[in-house]
Amino acid sequence: MTKATALLIFAALAAAPGGYSAAGKALGNPKAPVRIDLYSDFQCPSCKVFHDGTFGPLVAKYVMTGKVYLRQHEYPLPMHAHAREAACLACAADKCGRYWQVCDALFQTQDSWAKDGKVAAAACSVLTPIEAAQVQALARTPAILDAVNDDIRSGQTEQVNGTPTMIITKLMRRYPVAGPVSFPVLSRFLDSLIESQ
Amino acid sequence: MPRLIVALRVLLAAVFCFAAYTKLRQPWLVFAMSVDAYRLLPAWAVFGVARTLPWLELAIGLLLLSGLWSKYAAAGATVLLVLFWLAMLRAWTAGAGINCACFGVGEAVSALTLARDAALLACSAVLTFLLWSPNTRLLRASRLAA
Repeated sequence: MTKATALLIFAALAAAPGGYSAAGKALGNPKAPVRIDLYSDFQCPSCKVFHDGTFGPLVAKYVMTGKVYLRQHEYPLPMHAHAREAACLACAADKCGRYWQVCDALFQTQDSWAKDGKVAAAACSVLTPIEAAQVQALARTPAILDAVNDDIRSGQTEQVNGTPTMIITKLMRRYPVAGPVSFPVLSRFLDSLIESQ
Repeated sequence: MPRLIVALRVLLAAVFCFAAYTKLRQPWLVFAMSVDAYRLLPAWAVFGVARTLPWLELAIGLLLLSGLWSKYAAAGATVLLVLFWLAMLRAWTAGAGINCACFGVGEAVSALTLARDAALLACSAVLTFLLWSPNTRLLRASRLAA
């Protein structure tokens, strides 16, 4: 997702009429016919591919139009040394209402902080100095660690075994989908799901 | 030798029929997303593969089970298993956290799935070799003559 697309989406969500919101780590109308629970790891290259290529169009075409309710979950994989820190910083940014901006910044600069470990600098690059100080302090609190652990436990319950994983739900039917699915293919599936009774 | 051929045919037939069943019982677009996650094909090819592959697997499984054109079915199975194995190896070495999509959803590409696929490939290659081998054909011909 480019910065311009991200800004457009955030602005549109903010201006959208009732029901559509960027509340915490969820986007869209909770009463939308389809729900997507997205389990993601900020240090995972496939998650970056998904974020850069699929996430933006997904939000623009389905979330902003009230067809899909999207909820993001942290799922830092043990093999990624800085993933948990990144997840904590993003969850801390959520407390300041800046989750999606930090999320975008972390994916945009993944190559660099994954190598040098300067995760906080990458996450805070889109925050004001006051927000940055708040986020860095919050990221170390037990409440934030618990929030990340809750997401991980939720993923384990859903039998998530890689990232990104989407659990796509319509009524009682659930479809787990792992990997960086491209937008044209995901879009065709979502259209068929939305049209089905 | 004939017993080995029958055992390999039944084993591979069961695997291919089960693989087809797990894909055909879910919406084909779910399998399309699993294929797409490998990031090897453009969208139009992903849709084509997702539509046809389960039926091809079923056909190969049934042909191996029935013994009809089993030479060609075994060769087809070997080619498919080589392609699957290479795709999985590429995904695994790239660290892509994707499902192998071998038997529906929920099984990540791992060293275990690669080893399992390699074992099936070895079985299929042996079966193909035996079915195409002139010695096997001579043996069959002599039995028929007797």
